[in-house]
Amino acid sequence: MELEEGPRQSYNNREKEEVFNNEFLPHINSMYNFGYRLTLDRDDAKDLVQDTYFKAFRFIESFQKGTNAKAWLFRILKNSFINDYRKKTKEPTKVDYQEVESYYNSEDVDRQITPDLRVDALKDMIGDEISNALNALDVDFRTVIILCDLEGFKYEEMAKILDIPIGTVRSRLHRARQLLKEKLSHYAKSMGYKNTEP
Amino acid sequence: MSEPISPFTSTSGKRVTCMEMLQLILDGQVTSEQREYFKAHMDNCMPCFKSYQVDMAIKQLVKDRCCGEDAPGELILQIRAQINQKKA
Repeated sequence: MELEEGPRQSYNNREKEEVFNNEFLPHINSMYNFGYRLTLDRDDAKDLVQDTYFKAFRFIESFQKGTNAKAWLFRILKNSFINDYRKKTKEPTKVDYQEVESYYNSEDVDRQITPDLRVDALKDMIGDEISNALNALDVDFRTVIILCDLEGFKYEEMAKILDIPIGTVRSRLHRARQLLKEKLSHYAKSMGYKNTEP
Repeated sequence: MSEPISPFTSTSGKRVTCMEMLQLILDGQVTSEQREYFKAHMDNCMPCFKSYQVDMAIKQLVKDRCCGEDAPGELILQIRAQINQKKA
């Protein structure tokens, strides 16, 4: 079981309740939002969060009090999503991550640095444009943006949550942001902003 | 005026690209020395300057607009009920 890592703790019932209430439950809103962004369904998000907290309690002795509870919980939720939810619903992703990584490490990457979006176009996106654009990304790209930009995890924490090397976190994040920018560019055009670069 | 020596180093010894610097800056995963270097670099690199503005704006928008709604109130009760059931 992937949660059983590090020295096993020994908690009495009162301590278990304390850890659960003081270290796990404060993250429930972030967890729910993460679950929702992964599944795009409120009921599925609820199930995923409930399952995550249940597993967290069950394996609470694998968690060392005072360490990074949020990252630990996010990792459990992500694994539950992959192992339980994703298998039942959709076929696995078709994104070629090898290609994403090779491109990131190539000399071509700087050529795309100039955005075709303007800040004033972004400021006019006051509705659901950003949220919809994010939801439209492939789930693995969506995930890295949520973990980094929304939840503020560092690359190293993301690598642990996702079980991937830091280099892959960075290349995937770069590609995810490019794709998000492309989608926002489409919105900007539909809002009447002509493209952007002279 | 020439730029100071770069405090960005790649583990593989490869040249650190604008994009890599930009990403580290954007995600706050830099030292104060690297931040200062990048600020000076942007004065001479228009693509970096433009990308920085846009990327920061998108990052802020994601933070402001995608935090979603709070977990439903009954969810905590359901979690507790499930745990108590298991304990019994």
